[in-house]
Amino acid sequence: MTLTSPAEDVDVAAARPQPRRGVSLRDAGPPLALVVVFLVFAGLSSDFRTFGNVQNIMDTAAVLAVVTCGITFVLMMGSIDLSAPGVMGASAIAVALLVANNRNDNDLGLIGVLIAILLAAGLGCLSGFALVMLKVPSFMTTLGVSAVGLGIATLMFAGVQPNISDETLASLAIDRLLGFSYLTWVAVACVLVGYLIQRYSRLGRYAFAIGGAEEVLSLSGVKVAPYKVAVFTLAGAFYGLAGVMVTSQLSAGLVQAGKGYDFAAITAAVVGGTLLTGGRGGVLHSAVGVLLVTVLTNGLVQIGVSPYWQGGVQGLIVVAAVAAAVAPQRRRNQVTK
Amino acid sequence: MTAPAPVHALEVRGLVKHYPGVKALDGVDLVVRQNEVLGLAGENGAGKSTLLKALVGLVRPDAGEIWVRGEKVRLKSVVDAANHGIGMVFQEQSLVPNLTAAENIVLGSEGRGVRRGIYRWDTMRKLAQEQLDKIGSDINPLARTETLSFADRQMVEIAKVLRIEQRSQHPPVIILDEPTSVLESKEIETLFTQVRRLREFASVVFVSHRLDEVLDVCDRVSVLRGGQSVGEVPTAGAVPATLHQMMIGSAGSDDHYHGNVAEPSDQPREMLSIRKLSAKTFRDVDLEVRAGEIVGIVGVHGSGREDVCRALFGAEPTSGGEVYLDGKKLDLSGTRAACAAGIGYVPAERKIEGMVGPMSVADNMTLAKQESRCVGPLVSPPKQAGVVDRWIERLSIRTPHRGTAIQRLSGGNQQKVVLARWLVADDIRLLLLDHPTRGLDIGARSEVYRLMRELANSGVATVLLADSLEEAIGMSDRIVVMSDGRVTSEVPCVAGAKPTPLDLVKEMV
Amino acid sequence: MNAPTAPAMAKPASDAAVVKGGPTIGQRLTSMMPLIALAALLAALSIADPDFLTQRSLTAVVRTSAPLVVLAAGATLVVLCGGIDLSIAALASLSTVLFAMWLPDLGGMTTLAVIAAAGTIGAIQGIAHVMLRIPSFIVTLGGMSIFSAVALVISDAGPIRVVDRDATKWLTQYVGGYVPMAFAVALIVVASISIVLKVTPLQSYLTATGYSESAARLAGTPVDRVKVGAFTVSSACAGLAAVMLVSRNYSGSPTMADNLLLPAVAAIVVGGTAITGGHGSVWRSLVGALVITLLRVGLPIVGVPSAYEQILYGAIIVVAVALTLDRSKVLIIK
Repeated sequence: MTLTSPAEDVDVAAARPQPRRGVSLRDAGPPLALVVVFLVFAGLSSDFRTFGNVQNIMDTAAVLAVVTCGITFVLMMGSIDLSAPGVMGASAIAVALLVANNRNDNDLGLIGVLIAILLAAGLGCLSGFALVMLKVPSFMTTLGVSAVGLGIATLMFAGVQPNISDETLASLAIDRLLGFSYLTWVAVACVLVGYLIQRYSRLGRYAFAIGGAEEVLSLSGVKVAPYKVAVFTLAGAFYGLAGVMVTSQLSAGLVQAGKGYDFAAITAAVVGGTLLTGGRGGVLHSAVGVLLVTVLTNGLVQIGVSPYWQGGVQGLIVVAAVAAAVAPQRRRNQVTK
Repeated sequence: MTAPAPVHALEVRGLVKHYPGVKALDGVDLVVRQNEVLGLAGENGAGKSTLLKALVGLVRPDAGEIWVRGEKVRLKSVVDAANHGIGMVFQEQSLVPNLTAAENIVLGSEGRGVRRGIYRWDTMRKLAQEQLDKIGSDINPLARTETLSFADRQMVEIAKVLRIEQRSQHPPVIILDEPTSVLESKEIETLFTQVRRLREFASVVFVSHRLDEVLDVCDRVSVLRGGQSVGEVPTAGAVPATLHQMMIGSAGSDDHYHGNVAEPSDQPREMLSIRKLSAKTFRDVDLEVRAGEIVGIVGVHGSGREDVCRALFGAEPTSGGEVYLDGKKLDLSGTRAACAAGIGYVPAERKIEGMVGPMSVADNMTLAKQESRCVGPLVSPPKQAGVVDRWIERLSIRTPHRGTAIQRLSGGNQQKVVLARWLVADDIRLLLLDHPTRGLDIGARSEVYRLMRELANSGVATVLLADSLEEAIGMSDRIVVMSDGRVTSEVPCVAGAKPTPLDLVKEMV
Repeated sequence: MNAPTAPAMAKPASDAAVVKGGPTIGQRLTSMMPLIALAALLAALSIADPDFLTQRSLTAVVRTSAPLVVLAAGATLVVLCGGIDLSIAALASLSTVLFAMWLPDLGGMTTLAVIAAAGTIGAIQGIAHVMLRIPSFIVTLGGMSIFSAVALVISDAGPIRVVDRDATKWLTQYVGGYVPMAFAVALIVVASISIVLKVTPLQSYLTATGYSESAARLAGTPVDRVKVGAFTVSSACAGLAAVMLVSRNYSGSPTMADNLLLPAVAAIVVGGTAITGGHGSVWRSLVGALVITLLRVGLPIVGVPSAYEQILYGAIIVVAVALTLDRSKVLIIK
């Protein structure tokens, strides 16, 4: 006989977890969608299916891929990062002023790039500190840091656009290796490095774990705060590199270098299967998402849709992707903020 | 103070912990010897979980001492407890679902598994395998934790807890909190084998509400009641009834529950009628409740009784069946329809679901029945003041003022405000009470019982999910037993012919 | 049916009446902070520039602040529900374009049409939020992109001049010769939102939803409708703010209001409305908007380059949120 007291807790409603359905769909879906979208546009537009256009797509995707690499780590933790525009703006202007340019006599070359990335990492670090020290939600801290970054960029800009004359940096966007620009290869390297960090470093695995069950980490004696700060710093560094890449593309430093990249990167990551609730997806998922978003916007332009719709398409995609991701967990008495 | 003569693995002396309005622990003593399995039994609210939390440093006791192997300790955190060799397998599993089993096992003490921040997956797997070998488990350490079965995840959890051996060079004390609550009988057997294996090199504290299991696997059982230790029993020769008697003590007299004076047959009218109601967690539930009747639903965890209540209130979706309230078909599409129909619901999680903490007593009380404070579409402060003050007085709610934030009141008074919410408009017909006395002290409980009784006498139909079997028996006119999402039997429970808890338990299995 | 007679409790409660203290002095001071900040700013600016405290410059300040006040007041309702509306600025930009495009056809009705259109768009966002259970900041971030795109496409990415200035002339006039009409309208908006909330159950619904959505729902509060309503008002306010902007600039442009998002969010949090929901009011956002406007106007006066404005906004948002956040509610801050 089993003697039971009936009133024992309801809180353990966790019950028997069902084996997760749709894991394979989530992993296979985005690449599949990428192939389908690519084929559809290839069928619709003869301009789309040229090698030149594929080069074009890859080159366009490069900057977004680097930004998305950074934001993926933040999203994996379940946080959000809206600081890309500010951070990229600051690093874009900084690098333009540090390498050979028309505003001053600096010619620091690679070191200048490094300093710009460090500045960006510092801004990311600031977001992280505000999050863990002041306990301000990340979407607010990063919104604030983005403004700070734009302010710094505006201060450095000082009304005169810095045009770069550094040949290495300028050539990165133009010279090609195996058919693709060097910037594209930089992006590929970033994705690779990002993947290695995610797979083999404690930072990456803990970021993943923080998104899965932060409280368990604390229970296991892991102090999560330093890892959160480190993840935001890492993300900032990626944005910094992306800012440098934009400067290289434009041969000039612009305050608005990062405009719209925050949202585009979130869209790409979410479409690739990185959930906003954290603990899912990864750099490779996001990379597929970047290609999907880029192919989609490029294809739409090729079939004659106004390029101004680009942001609108991203907006629709992200809302649809998030809605699809939360649909299986929808409950009647659910709290959604 | 000197250490006790025989060095115990763990000893607790006079542990006290207060929570606002409740004394969770009131001088608990506990001894865990080396290499024994100690059972811990007690009713809901007896203080088991607070005691366990104190033992792993999650709760700081207000008074009392904890001794580990003859050494007085202060446990400030889980890590602190682990350093003293105390580890706990939590009731809600404490694993990161999206990491591998190996990572979970070594989480926070990766040692050689991580060098300079870089993972060495091979070493990591070996470290985890060592742990899994200790308990003879053949789980693949590189499997994603969420893909494992519940039983396997529990094994991972035990393997993880055993990592504390790395921190403290002594035999560990392992606490298992309700480890069997969601396991199948075969999995329970495996778990018991593990527990017996653990005894070879560790001390185990085993907490379960299934008393037969406690007697099966433990060497001794310590019983808690009302935050106090009420005794210890060697399991040899003990039967569940002995333990149960100790757990409930002599409390639960009819007087405590304000006896049901009115004959239920005085109100023959059927108020609630549920026909074949089904949802994800329950199927084909049929239930009738007459006006003025209190029907208790009992069942173990997973019986689906909470979900029936929430479905009736429109807070959970249903997949089939019909519900009639006072002869009219009930709209189950949302909570608003249920409120309008005269249904009131008191949720178990008062602080999260029952009240809006920073809002005033008055606004909380009139939240559901806005018409009680409105003239036409507009709020009338004088009308609200009148209604609220009247109910504060009628229910003896102790609050400095009706404008005081409800979170500043004690639990009992908060619960009375939540109850009053359904009474202010005088249109309540069916009251759904989900653990209405949870976390309340005896005085406050008694007042809630009295209120329930008076409402029933005035014709309100009540569905009660009681905090304990005694409460269910004491308050109900009729008890319905649910198991695995179905109604399995019905036990009459009229005054003078009350069943005993054991009678009910027989029906529940 | 027979209404139950009121039960009477004979025995008084056995437990203590009150278990926790009320607000501390620090909390009271924090809640007064916006007013203190406003006064301090006024004082500081008057010291820095003795000419500042004149009727003319004060009039200019409140006139500048009007669109911001309206934007912030509307979005406050969404924040009170516990959400956030990041689309207001982009929607206001879109609305300026709509206004400029519709004016030749609709004439005097254009203002109402734009506000109604903006309100409808807001309702759609709100419905997407509650039906699809998408976090509000994602819905409105998506909305922001979509509105910007629509505005760019229909305006062909350039400003549209407003030739017929009569339609917005009333907004440029002065009440009693001193108070700019735009600011008076902003005050009326704030006051009417506040009064409607106060005299109807809406205040309770909004507060309960913001503090504890599940408790509100289980008390039969129409949580979903309240949220959709909040989004509708927020967007309608963006429409009105757009009309104010057009009245000042005599044109509509797809990016005209884009740089008002940060100041609006800053105004809300500086006013002391908690980003976690429940606590706050539209009056607080009015004060917050005035503080932000004074900062913006005042920085050049004290000799700070306007580039610092952005940095200041960023810092203010983070610090103000940190001061007003209800930490008891969110145990894990993401």
